[in-house]
Amino acid sequence: MHLAMGTLKRPGPGFLPFILACLLVALSLALIASQWKKGDGKAPFWPERTWLRPLLGAGAFALYAFLIDLIGFLPTTFIFLVLWMWIIESISWRRIAMVSVGVTGVLYLIFGYFLEVPLPGGIFS
Amino acid sequence: MGEIFNIFQGLLNGFDIALSLTNITFALIGAVLGTMVGILPGLGPAATISLLLPLSFKIGSPVTSIIMMAGIFYGAMYGGSTTSVLVNIPGEAASVVTCIDGYQMALKGRAGPALGMAAIGSFVAGTIGILGLTFVAPPLAEFALKFGPPEYFSLTLLGLVMATLLGGDSIIKGLIMVVLGLLLGSVGLDPISGAIRFTWGLHMLQEGIDFVTLAMGMFGIGEIFYNLEKVLKTELVTRKISHLWPSLKDWADSKWAVVRGSLIGFMIGILPGGGAVISSLVSYAVEKRVAKNPDEFGKGAIQGVAGPESANNAAATASFIPLLTLGIPGNAAIAMIFAALLIQGVTPGPFLITEKPDVFWGVVASMYIGNVMLLILNLPMVGLWVQLLRVPYSILAPVIVLFCCVGVFSVRNSVFDIWVMGIFGVIGYIFRKVGLEPGPLILAFVLGPILERSIRQALLMSAGSPAIFFTRPISGALMAALILFLVFQVYLNRRKQRQRGKG
Amino acid sequence: MKKIVIAVVVAGLLTLPLLAAAQDKYPSKPIEITVPFAAGGSTDVLARLVSKYAPKHFDKPLVIVNKPGGGGITGTEAVVRSKPDGYSLYLGQGSGHDLVTPHFQKMPYDPVNDLIPICRLSVHSIVVIIRADAPYKNLKELVEWGKKKDQVTASVSTKAGSVDIVFQAVGKATGMKIVTVPFRGGAESVTAIVGGQTDCGGNHPSEIISHIKAKRLIPIAVALENRDSAIPDVPTFKELGYNVVAVGSVKGVAAPKGTPPEVIRYLAERFKKVCEDGEFIKAMKDIGQPVMYLGPQESAKYLKEGFEQYGKLIKEFNIKLE
Repeated sequence: MHLAMGTLKRPGPGFLPFILACLLVALSLALIASQWKKGDGKAPFWPERTWLRPLLGAGAFALYAFLIDLIGFLPTTFIFLVLWMWIIESISWRRIAMVSVGVTGVLYLIFGYFLEVPLPGGIFS
Repeated sequence: MGEIFNIFQGLLNGFDIALSLTNITFALIGAVLGTMVGILPGLGPAATISLLLPLSFKIGSPVTSIIMMAGIFYGAMYGGSTTSVLVNIPGEAASVVTCIDGYQMALKGRAGPALGMAAIGSFVAGTIGILGLTFVAPPLAEFALKFGPPEYFSLTLLGLVMATLLGGDSIIKGLIMVVLGLLLGSVGLDPISGAIRFTWGLHMLQEGIDFVTLAMGMFGIGEIFYNLEKVLKTELVTRKISHLWPSLKDWADSKWAVVRGSLIGFMIGILPGGGAVISSLVSYAVEKRVAKNPDEFGKGAIQGVAGPESANNAAATASFIPLLTLGIPGNAAIAMIFAALLIQGVTPGPFLITEKPDVFWGVVASMYIGNVMLLILNLPMVGLWVQLLRVPYSILAPVIVLFCCVGVFSVRNSVFDIWVMGIFGVIGYIFRKVGLEPGPLILAFVLGPILERSIRQALLMSAGSPAIFFTRPISGALMAALILFLVFQVYLNRRKQRQRGKG
Repeated sequence: MKKIVIAVVVAGLLTLPLLAAAQDKYPSKPIEITVPFAAGGSTDVLARLVSKYAPKHFDKPLVIVNKPGGGGITGTEAVVRSKPDGYSLYLGQGSGHDLVTPHFQKMPYDPVNDLIPICRLSVHSIVVIIRADAPYKNLKELVEWGKKKDQVTASVSTKAGSVDIVFQAVGKATGMKIVTVPFRGGAESVTAIVGGQTDCGGNHPSEIISHIKAKRLIPIAVALENRDSAIPDVPTFKELGYNVVAVGSVKGVAAPKGTPPEVIRYLAERFKKVCEDGEFIKAMKDIGQPVMYLGPQESAKYLKEGFEQYGKLIKEFNIKLE
């Protein structure tokens, strides 16, 4: 992608991004340098396996965004809730069922019905 | 003297109109709708007003339609703070800043005072704004007209410089966030050259990254990912949810923040293109600067809630001034209202107040009423909202994520935005872990494009000469203020160094 | 028994074509009109006014949908790709992205062949305006003043839009060095000229009519073949001796290629009725958008001419995108 730099008197679209990129590189180096000097015994970024749940959460999110266009709002929302509550947390089946149905319904009512947002229907549209 | 008499007469007439049963009902409908729209993440007042445009013909009376739409607009400023405080999700663009300290207050069990102060600050600011609209609208609007690209540049620069101290302890980290914010802000169509930047052919990015999407991702979703690290079976807020009302100390701390926020919001809101978002950002920066306890900011300082919340309400009210006195819409929601008026045969402009005083004064009077209605609506709800925090986080988290997903979808009917929000969620999570503050990024993201655009427009106007920033009176004054500020800063720093050396 | 069965079957078969015909009768549900610009803009206001008066003349309501983005291309493309059954129309045909942009960029659809013009509703001409307190009072004085200066600034709504192109032509035709300062849309550019940020500005009559009435802005020339009825006292560039003629921003209604001719006919007739409605005409006049109806064939011709005119302007004055 080629963005004109323009002149100092008439900056083009590429002018600012170029300066910013240079600044970013310089600042990042400065940051690394200052941390290097500190050189403390780094506390673990992710003690034990705490990265697991956020990763699952991100995964559930990605799954939602992916599925919603495929199978539509209602099934995707329901599945999302069930999966999240079941895998990430461990909640009783009864609760999972109640919350999943309830929340999906409420969301549909507010956004789909009341605000008339055209929620994706996926293959069911 | 005659002027003041006319104003009072107009206002009395206006109240007469505003207090009709129809108008009160529609003001209430607007206020309630606005509050709800503010609470629901994603959907904002501009989108809602555009949805209701067809309804406005059916209503028939221009006064009544504007009363309702105005209610939606400033109502959203009240409601937006609710989710910001409770779950770190900005319900509306202007409520992003409230997340920073409001959420921290909630985590400390002080959600009640945060929400309460937000509502009260909003009310005071709204009232100040309406008073301004009543008494000083025409001359102020004229003044606002003198703001052109050089002035916008100087003003934004001043704001940005004053606020770079938003970024926690490390200056380097703060600057990195500013640079990132500026880069993100340059994505999309560049209005000066027509070139499209950094969209990789993705046509959903042509208008740039949507601010609400970015904020919801970085603040809301990021926070949820962060919280997932610990297995939280219980409520998020384990500290006892103490009093629901702001304490006397809270009042004392916030009262000036509210006043300052109102004035800042009013001044910035009246500028075409200025608005609630910028006002709240600037108010936060100012409060942090003048506070006796700046280290509290970011950890639950109530001024960080009171100031911005007041600013956004004052700005919302002030943005009606250019519309009603000059016929110039300053932002998207007002543009909608402008169109609604046009369609009903009312042309907003300098003649509005003389040719159709009913419309002008009816709307102004109704704003006083609407403002009171919103205070009455929102204050008792604080208790209710705080109860939401009692829901076990294991259930609350996925529900929040869903509200965000659907909310962000409803802005542009696009699943793409859901992905963008998710990506920013991951980014926000990582930033949180690494200790990078989102505040400066948000500020740069909003102010950066204005800065870049204005300087290029100004240089076009001056054929490349930078003198224009100093020779135009308003811009010159702002630049002088900037230089003075910098000098003062250097002086303060030197003094601190010397004191530290001594001790 | 058999006879009854045969009778029923025959009756059924006979009613089938009737049912099919009833199904086919257009319109059988509301018609969606896409405006590829943001709500509140001049095209949107026009569309909503049309939809306000439509129920008197159309059998089914017109529903306005805004699909802004890409300078108008996003929404238009959506209509181009929709089913050509007459329930998805594009209002605003003849705007900058239809007549000017294709001269500079490759479009994701064919603006001429992928859309069928149904009718023209109005024309938003391009008017040059100056502040009432400027040291020049008409085009002649502006040119005299302008030729002595290093540059003359003009506020425009979009870079490389129809107004920008016209100003570049004006600059070359009059010998002034015109520097266009782009803003984000008509509303911002009007605010700029009202505030005196630039020496002059270019906008559509609907954007400036209230300011003209308030005596803040003076229109000094219009870039049309003949004078614009919204601002009848304003001379054209041609009258003033400069051959800068364009069609401004045409506002027409179009349907995707493949829409059946009977549907086009129906729509053209009904829109014509709306354009003949006295109240509609008055409402349009009040907002500075004069009703100028043209049917399908004339409208197509007008658009084609307009497109070529911009092409000529660009070539003759050697206008380039920087």
